[in-house]
Amino acid sequence: MDAPSRVSSVRVAVTEYLEIDLGTETWHCRRCQRSLGPARSNYKEGCLAYARDPSTLYPPQVEGERYSFAPDPALCLLVEFYCPGCGTLVETEALPPGHPPTHDIELDLDSLRRHAADADATRKP
Amino acid sequence: MGVDRATLLAWIKPSPPSAEELAAAARLAPGDCEIYSEKLNAILDEAADVFVRTGVSSMLHSGDLVVGIYDPAGNMVAASCGVYLHAVSAQLPVKFVRSHFEDEPTVGIHEGDIFYCNDALYGGIHNPDQIAIMPIFHEGQLIAWSCAAVHQPETDAVEPGGMPGSAKSRHWEGMKLSPIKIGEHYELRADLLEMMENFMSRAPRMQVIDVRARVTAADRIRRRIQDLAKAVGAPLLGGLFRKLIMQSETCARARIASWPDGTFRAVSFADTVGATESLVRAALTARKAGEQITLDFAGTSPENDGPQNAFAHIAAAHVAIYLYAYAFHDLPVSAGTFAPLDFVVPEGCLLNAGSEAAVSQSVYACWQMLTLTPIVFSKMMYAGAQRPLVAASAGNNHTVPFVYAGMNQWGGKVADLLGYPFNGEGLGARSDMDGVDCYGFPMAHTGLGPDVEDVETETFFLHLFQNELIDSGGPGKYRGGTGVESALVLYHMPRAVVSSMGATTRVLIGQGLFGGYPPPAVPGIHVVGSDALEKLGAGEALPRDFRELAEKRAIKGQYRFERTARPSRMIGKGDLISVIASGGAGYGDVLERDPSLVARDVREQRVSPDAAAEIYCVALDPGSGEADLEETARRRAQARQARLARGKPWAEFMVQWSKQKPPEDMLSCYGSWPDAKPVRPVVRL
Repeated sequence: MDAPSRVSSVRVAVTEYLEIDLGTETWHCRRCQRSLGPARSNYKEGCLAYARDPSTLYPPQVEGERYSFAPDPALCLLVEFYCPGCGTLVETEALPPGHPPTHDIELDLDSLRRHAADADATRKP
Repeated sequence: MGVDRATLLAWIKPSPPSAEELAAAARLAPGDCEIYSEKLNAILDEAADVFVRTGVSSMLHSGDLVVGIYDPAGNMVAASCGVYLHAVSAQLPVKFVRSHFEDEPTVGIHEGDIFYCNDALYGGIHNPDQIAIMPIFHEGQLIAWSCAAVHQPETDAVEPGGMPGSAKSRHWEGMKLSPIKIGEHYELRADLLEMMENFMSRAPRMQVIDVRARVTAADRIRRRIQDLAKAVGAPLLGGLFRKLIMQSETCARARIASWPDGTFRAVSFADTVGATESLVRAALTARKAGEQITLDFAGTSPENDGPQNAFAHIAAAHVAIYLYAYAFHDLPVSAGTFAPLDFVVPEGCLLNAGSEAAVSQSVYACWQMLTLTPIVFSKMMYAGAQRPLVAASAGNNHTVPFVYAGMNQWGGKVADLLGYPFNGEGLGARSDMDGVDCYGFPMAHTGLGPDVEDVETETFFLHLFQNELIDSGGPGKYRGGTGVESALVLYHMPRAVVSSMGATTRVLIGQGLFGGYPPPAVPGIHVVGSDALEKLGAGEALPRDFRELAEKRAIKGQYRFERTARPSRMIGKGDLISVIASGGAGYGDVLERDPSLVARDVREQRVSPDAAAEIYCVALDPGSGEADLEETARRRAQARQARLARGKPWAEFMVQWSKQKPPEDMLSCYGSWPDAKPVRPVVRL
């Protein structure tokens, strides 16, 4: 472990809504600070998930047609991942029904610690 | 025949510098690099301008092209784009010519030679993309190469338009030229021009004019570089070329090193394989360690017997479209940027198909790359100093190229691809702002939309309307840019052949970022035998957008709602055809969007009142149209509570989710479910 101790409790913003606590090595919601599980695992496993019919978001404009402005829910659903603390929509994925959600971010925490020493890496808007 | 895949892939990276180049780079005086790199850019801008003014086909006029300067070994030094992927891929035929023909006595490389090629097996993208290449000599020494490339909308394939959706192997795709010498002593050979004219009998005039345009642009670079060499000496140029490549590499490595290490993944889906409807998956895993990134496309669907296949170098070159525009937008556009990148493109996946595969729609096979690259790089960059460059993808759902062929009103044979509808796609939203509305073509960042009046003069179409498409930007805290809707009516001629291409209609290629949503789907619309021209003649009201057209059937005729990939068909005078450029993807949670921006979007007709209320949960004052902040806050709190009520914990969600599967008839080209491994051999005649 080459992490400097002074940054051990720093939280690093990793996405618009997620940060990693380098001390506890846990994912957290940046809006409500709710823990979303171990940072070495997929943060989506700490979220609430919901598969949304895309026609609720995109009106088809035409009724009864195979092709419209709405994707076909038999082929494409919008999987939404919510923070269980505050309901923030942390991430979405357009997936065919049943396709495994993507483990999209797998950070090397030691590397993240090194970057946490850089003020740019830890700044928050 | 052709070049092995590993070699083509390796040629994308810069070759090591020679001792002479390093010494020349070290001898550059302070200011030389800054002054003369700008000179190179000015030369390229001039050549691009000459190119646009000299050619005739639609994409050329839209500026979807590239001109570039390459060092003697074929490494890209600078390019003016246009299409960054062509800037990268142009290195490959240059390196082929050097490695295969320099010492070949029947060919050789001499001052005044003009080479030409369009075959993907030799480093091209697909055979509509034709490239002119000229060696540049100074005092008898090869000092550089110039290249000029642009998409040619006709290839003598089984269908008009150069990208046949029905193609099942390379033998359906028309003219394919390995790198050949079409000119010597600065003169084009009439016999080889005649050969091309003969191949392109659907549009011979366009072919010959555009060949000359490519060569004219390449030759303009050649003349200016020779002038520069005369003024400053070839050694300075050699040092400058290598320094630009080294600068790009050094800066790219430093920037990559500033991002945390890790593994980043993304997937994207399409539903079209030429004439077949089937899901296909593109998968990208980016493994970043130190100053190196490996881009691994394992998990991508297997190659297919349609035209939507690519080769490994084509997939790699597509990464340039993102890199040069976002992550490395401020670095010299040179080969050095690719030095820190390694590519894994498994043989047998649709991004690295067999040599007999049809690749006429390789750009559609790679379209998902325009979604995958922004996602993985944004997730890499967010924790670093490049956060302002974090952005969702352009929509990609879908920009529809529209091909037309026939006799035009001037008595000429035409077979062209309307480039300008490409150039109105919305850009993806960024971490700090909305996506640019009607931005352009995500593959050609500087492509322009010509005036409708010019298009109507050149073609036989009337534009019934051309608008920003309402609700086309992916919703989010920052909204994706709006796309464009165009309705074309055949006007001047009694009939014409049309077709269009696309990679998806019923699924979304685009993905939102950090809670943002993708943009909506885009259907094809064809109104057969419309009375639009009669209404126009009688001065009657005409539909102003597709919503009015689709919902109210505002003109008479037989309505067909169809796939964006439309096979060649004959249409008659008065028929209406849709051409729609997708909006961009959204960024962040819609419930965090500033309500005043939603009110503005409604006022400017980029977002409908329904979407403002139901998606953004914004209450608008019916009188002023301004946002009611108190009521909006109440609705949004309710919406968050509704999410908490309907969302399921991961394990519970996955139990139900994993039981689902798309219909079997939509998996014929997907591979095994869900991991997309090959399940059947592909047999090509």
